[in-house]
Amino acid sequence: MTKLDWRIDWRKGVMAVVLCATLAIAGCQAKAPSQFDQVQKDSTARNATPAIAKDATKGGEFNKFFPKGQDGYERVYTQEKKGFAEAKLKKDGKELAMLAVTDTRSLPAAAAKFANAKTSIAGYPSVDMGTTQTSILVSDRYQVKVISKAPTFDKEDRTEWIEKFDLAGLSKLK
Amino acid sequence: MSKSIFELVDQLPTGGTTIMALNALDFVIPGQWQNLTGFTNTIRAVTGESDEAMIQAIGERAVYLYNDEGEGYQRAMWLYQTVDNAAGALGVAAMANKIGQDISFLGFLDNLTPKPEKVQSINLCIKLVVELVAYCQINGIPGDSVGDFLAALGDYGGESLMRMVALICFDGLIPLGPGFIGKGLGTLNNMTPNDLEKNDTFKSVSSLIPGNNSGDKLGFIGQSFDSVSGWMTGFVDQKGLTQENVLGNLQKFVKISEDKLDYVGAFLDISVKYYTHTGTQTLARRLIERAVAEL
Repeated sequence: MTKLDWRIDWRKGVMAVVLCATLAIAGCQAKAPSQFDQVQKDSTARNATPAIAKDATKGGEFNKFFPKGQDGYERVYTQEKKGFAEAKLKKDGKELAMLAVTDTRSLPAAAAKFANAKTSIAGYPSVDMGTTQTSILVSDRYQVKVISKAPTFDKEDRTEWIEKFDLAGLSKLK
Repeated sequence: MSKSIFELVDQLPTGGTTIMALNALDFVIPGQWQNLTGFTNTIRAVTGESDEAMIQAIGERAVYLYNDEGEGYQRAMWLYQTVDNAAGALGVAAMANKIGQDISFLGFLDNLTPKPEKVQSINLCIKLVVELVAYCQINGIPGDSVGDFLAALGDYGGESLMRMVALICFDGLIPLGPGFIGKGLGTLNNMTPNDLEKNDTFKSVSSLIPGNNSGDKLGFIGQSFDSVSGWMTGFVDQKGLTQENVLGNLQKFVKISEDKLDYVGAFLDISVKYYTHTGTQTLARRLIERAVAEL
């Protein structure tokens, strides 16, 4: 090998190192830190708790307790997953609210918020969250929630629609 | 590791070929699709929430739900991405570096070959089935009856409806003409499981199409396409959609010369990733709706 060849190889080596460093820095810069980095790490860890508890009730079990569409109101089921069922409440084609039942087995914090509830609906502890959500806890386990989607659909409407669920039936669900 | 849901939503483009092509379809469903991007933006738009602690809590629950592999969300994302990428891998390299410079793309259309009609027809049918399978992965099968399920499907709006409009226009009307539904059904009826196995789009997603073998899967694709064909026919009629008015609107955004029309379908296949784009938007919306209900 000649001396010249050695120098070219040496320069190639340096170039490779510089390129790698540039890519690494560019790579790091491209990925800005996010407010969700920690939860991403927690939820993908090897021993992470799954989002949905194994013994959560099937969403389909909740359907029959939902209020029926009536007096021009239309109920359209939108999601049915383990521990969760949701329907949209519409009138004249316009979305008014979302109606949902969830099993808090998967998210105990959701049930815990009712411990300090100062109000109740139909005899069940009730809580308001933000300006659009009202919910109750049935049998210390099932959360029934109504979420306003139209400004005209207020807290009174949410309360009224929670009462329209078959809450007695839901309370007997094992 | 695959990307997190918040990265995928944060990285949705606000411009480029896909967005221009989708905007060109605004005339079909005026104002119904806004290009909503950014994870926290989406939380704000879907929930109407402005409280930062609440937005954080909703986002965190949505991330947890997405990362639970048993919940089907990652499978749905994979389906949307895969069916887009399967379209025309060959032409991508030739076009990739030109798209950034000039959307007129005429110079490199010569590198593309229009796909035979049969292949286009199969792609259309498979994309529709992918929508159905992804829908069930995301939403389950809502309600207790077929009627409930059809009502849920009929409630498509926003980015989900835009995806169906793009399917009808970009994978139906433009490459196959006004008889695209009949061509799809005809192709499926005359097809053997063996033919299906040779199709690249099918190969890429077949593992998630219901059925034990290609014969079953072909049956499922046929039934699914057949059951949605009535809705598609009605939609095309109601909106007065033709190959000409779709191309006319597309030409407002992307230059297409008359003698290159044959290539438009191939171009759209390669450069317009509308399943991935609007699919990510749909997935984010549904995750957020579930997260709010659960908190």
